[in-house]
Amino acid sequence: MIATETDPAPTPSPEDGYQVKLQVFEGPLDLLLFLIKKKKIDINDIPIAVITREYLDYLSRKERINLDREAEFLLMAALLIYIKSQMLLPREQPLEPDIDPRKELVDRLADFQKIKAASTLLREKEDAMSQVWKRTVLTAPLPEEDLDLIEVSLFDLAESFFTLMKRKQSENPRVIKGKEISMADKMNEIVAVLKARGVLDFLEYLDAQGTLEEALISFFCLLELIKARLIIAIQEQLFHTIKVWPRKDAAPA
Amino acid sequence: MDNLKEIIDALIFISVEPLTAEKMKEVLTDVPEPDIAQALQELVARYESADGAIRIIQTAGGYVFSTKPAYDPYVRRLLQIERKKKLSSQALETLSAVAYHQPVTQSEISAIRSVDSTYALHTLLENKLIKIVGRKDAPGRPLLYRTTEKFLAYFGLNAIEDLPSEEELIKLMQEENS
Repeated sequence: MIATETDPAPTPSPEDGYQVKLQVFEGPLDLLLFLIKKKKIDINDIPIAVITREYLDYLSRKERINLDREAEFLLMAALLIYIKSQMLLPREQPLEPDIDPRKELVDRLADFQKIKAASTLLREKEDAMSQVWKRTVLTAPLPEEDLDLIEVSLFDLAESFFTLMKRKQSENPRVIKGKEISMADKMNEIVAVLKARGVLDFLEYLDAQGTLEEALISFFCLLELIKARLIIAIQEQLFHTIKVWPRKDAAPA
Repeated sequence: MDNLKEIIDALIFISVEPLTAEKMKEVLTDVPEPDIAQALQELVARYESADGAIRIIQTAGGYVFSTKPAYDPYVRRLLQIERKKKLSSQALETLSAVAYHQPVTQSEISAIRSVDSTYALHTLLENKLIKIVGRKDAPGRPLLYRTTEKFLAYFGLNAIEDLPSEEELIKLMQEENS
């Protein structure tokens, strides 16, 4: 982590130990923006040599750098030097005036500056909202908080599925019809059913599918939905059927 | 209807999730839409101007009761919460980047911030402030992220359009520079 010069570390007092609060640069763009502001440089006309020197100067103070991020800071240093070299290189044909080697960096800086500004404004909103309380604290408990419910593993689901497949196979030994069903449609159907009924018996639902193919697709859809944490599969007791609920805490799709 | 305001009051009262205008319309089928909107507005204003501790806020596309900020310390004492957790500056910056560039991939976010954002995105996913909405049609089919309804509610925004506008951002940047 790198500290700014404007915010020097306070001398640690014995009673609060060595807790030092520094302004931290999250990344190289953050540091660059700080240097640009400090030197009062116009972002659209950055003197690359000056800023590179300042930047490297910061990097050389190893004790102020978070080593986890060092590679990213060095990458930016390399980019700065590359840009400078592009500006210095003699060329057979001079660069077109509107192609500035700095342009890409400037665009990135401008975009990043906007994100920083947005963060500041969102932080204000967060502060305001943190003093406001809604009644969500008192929501009803999820079914999964009931004691006897076991969230099932992939293997339990697969086992159920294979049992069903065997049963289906003996019922319907002929070749399946080639009806095309998309996963997206099926997922929507499952979500709709869950919305209407609230709960779904896993085996029963697969069993109700017309063809083997459709059952297969339904199974994959269920797996996908579980993976996306939109639904939850629960076995109420050992050897009982597996049921599927929509997750109450799921982000609405 | 004379007591339209009170009916809406009751509907919002029993809704823990923000109650949308559509839902109100579903219940009040025989009431013309502008009347509902008018009554709603008056109801919000009534709570706002009254001495009570409760108000109606518009958030995440609906209306919900909330306490007024002045009562925050007492609510926290009741719930035994020292203070509400805030997002880390890393997480907040990542979230802003997602909000303004959505749908967006992890590598795009990392490029915008010039910092690897895998961990920050993971934290935001866990907190359900962002969600996976699919995969990008690009090499490696990377996951695409979007902000959630919870994101809107968390910042007291009604819709994604209520994010600070380009002009507001530029104004803030100019203030900081001067």
